[in-house]
Amino acid sequence: MSSRRSRISEEEIKELISNLQFLLPESRRRQAATRVSAAKLLKETCNYIESLHREVDDLSDRLTELLATMDITSAQAEIVRSLLRS
Amino acid sequence: MAISNAAGDPAAGNEGGGERKRKRREDPPVAKWRTEGEQKTYSSKLIEAIRRVRRSSAAAAAATDHSRSRAVRVAADRALAVAARGRTRWSRAILSGRKLKLWVRARACRRKPLGNITAASASYSHTTRKSKPPALERKARVLGRLVPGCRKLPLPTLLEEASDYIAALEMQVRAMSAIAEILSAAGVAAAEPM
Repeated sequence: MSSRRSRISEEEIKELISNLQFLLPESRRRQAATRVSAAKLLKETCNYIESLHREVDDLSDRLTELLATMDITSAQAEIVRSLLRS
Repeated sequence: MAISNAAGDPAAGNEGGGERKRKRREDPPVAKWRTEGEQKTYSSKLIEAIRRVRRSSAAAAAATDHSRSRAVRVAADRALAVAARGRTRWSRAILSGRKLKLWVRARACRRKPLGNITAASASYSHTTRKSKPPALERKARVLGRLVPGCRKLPLPTLLEEASDYIAALEMQVRAMSAIAEILSAAGVAAAEPM
């Protein structure tokens, strides 16, 4: 079963993996020309997603902290003003 | 560029399968996460959601910092899933099953805290007996666990979902950082005597 699967989707996998490689910042830095092994790329992807999750958690902490000290209406006004400015 | 046009115009037939096939050649569908318009929309939705969190946590006097930050994270993820407009599995999974999944997992963890030790050793022997499933498959399983709702997907679909998810997460990080910057700047400005 697995051999049949690999025969059918190997090219698809290669293409998707090259797309993925394009997305990951480290892979991009590492010259997208060199072909990284698929397993390594998957591992990098997992690590990257985990690091993004951690970043989002940290940012949530930070936002919670910031919002605790400000009242919301002035915060919203400030944000809207900045968003309109940029 | 075609990308930004498409992003600002969601009703312009983005949904069709034919559109998607064409886009895959020229610009990967993940490009929409990079547009400014998408980020701005997300930011305003996020602020709304955070405001609601604050209101509800103010009512519940026992809200700790951690639980509030958790609520912010959940709200951010939900807003992100909404921004995906239901076109990806991970977004649908977040919107539909999130609470249920957390519940079930929490209950399962609580139910067998002691059994974990023996269960872990059993699973170790089980995997070594399987004589190394291909590294690719193992990594694909880990990836499937990380992306919500993608546990049992075949590899090509999983990779597609993962690329979209990564792009969406990057936008989430950018938007939240921007909001944090603005708020901290506003806080400093408010503190200074005018």
